[in-house]
Amino acid sequence: MTILEQARQIARQSLEQGRAQGVLGLREAEGGVSPHLFEDPSDIDSLVVEPKWLLAKLATGILKGLPADYRLAVLCRGCDERAIVELIKRNQIDGEKIHVIGLACTKEQARACLCTRPYPSEVAVGDVVEGVDPFQDERARTFLEGDQRERMIRWATELRRCVKCYGCRNSCPICVCVPCKLEDDLWVGRGEIPADLISFHLIRAFHLCDTCVACGACQDACPENIPLMLLQISMRASLVEKYGYEAGTDRERRSPLLSDLTKEPSPGCEVPGWMDSLGDSA
Amino acid sequence: MGNRISHGVEGHRQGERRAPKVIVFACRWCALIGADGAGKKRVQLPLDFRVIPVECAARVEPDSIIRAFSYGIEGVGVLGCHLGGCRYHNANHRAIKRLDLLKKLLATVGIDSGRLLTSFGTGHEYHQFAGILKDFFQELRGLPPLDEWARAATIDAIKV
Repeated sequence: MTILEQARQIARQSLEQGRAQGVLGLREAEGGVSPHLFEDPSDIDSLVVEPKWLLAKLATGILKGLPADYRLAVLCRGCDERAIVELIKRNQIDGEKIHVIGLACTKEQARACLCTRPYPSEVAVGDVVEGVDPFQDERARTFLEGDQRERMIRWATELRRCVKCYGCRNSCPICVCVPCKLEDDLWVGRGEIPADLISFHLIRAFHLCDTCVACGACQDACPENIPLMLLQISMRASLVEKYGYEAGTDRERRSPLLSDLTKEPSPGCEVPGWMDSLGDSA
Repeated sequence: MGNRISHGVEGHRQGERRAPKVIVFACRWCALIGADGAGKKRVQLPLDFRVIPVECAARVEPDSIIRAFSYGIEGVGVLGCHLGGCRYHNANHRAIKRLDLLKKLLATVGIDSGRLLTSFGTGHEYHQFAGILKDFFQELRGLPPLDEWARAATIDAIKV
């Protein structure tokens, strides 16, 4: 059975057995693919799994407009599932209402996204393949390592192409703040094109430092092909290395940036033994 | 971009490289006391820095640091209490974790992470504060000017 048939079968079953009232997936119709909420099992024949399309943000919006007892199943890739977990942690989605049908990516897809974890926690469709280490990729490395000055020019040349369409922010499944700082004159001059090289891009990147699930939606949406996801790679790697934390892999665990060094120590930051004349302020 | 800091009296002759401009966010419970002391004792200090008092080092949003760089400030310092001496439930622990990550991001895009000075529990005394700043200025002088970033992007900003 092909991946597509598997996916259709599972989606149909969850509708027929009443595990979910709706399945959010992609539908092929009139020569194009678009997200669709399948509620009738007979519609499932038009369900497809390609291309990669993140549904987490859509699911948030859909769930808000539905009755409280509605159960929604979402056909998710690994990154999409991690995004949903992060949204649940931020009270954007009710974890009880959503059910994930996990879809594993192929090797080619993992390589195209430089994905370290191209599979969801529970794989229902497809086979698990190993992730890719972005630091091994030739092109990515030129943006991450090597001579500082060269990299400065490389990044500035990339970022200056920005047309400030806000596509990176809008497509990001986890960018949910209202109001957004990128629309505030205090932080980013409005009406300035190209966007301020440092403030616009780095503020956006840093807001996602411990939440980015490396789905690559920002760079897929970018009309100028700026490799925006690469801004996150070294911060993500540092969180894994220091705290063993990867965004979206654990529903219970909060970001290590929110805890004390006494609870989650960071290598290189020693808390002196004589500390705290004020008592343990845990 | 606004040139928000006026230059000190240190020589800025034609062709000479300007002294780097620096903003220091100082926690009012320690580094601000150090800064105050340095002023009272009339210690020789670099001229091109301004101190912004904050209640706690964790009160400094990383966004403000990024915004300072985008205004052409060459170095930003965040000075707080020693780990374990925070007045606000170890908020400086969060600050140190957060700013470490910010340094990673700055290093990635080629803004040297040395432009962000973080120091916790080392600025209470006036001579310590002066020492930190002198070292910081020395380090900044060794780095290429930050406006190269803007120069590398040759298209000028268009006002719409």
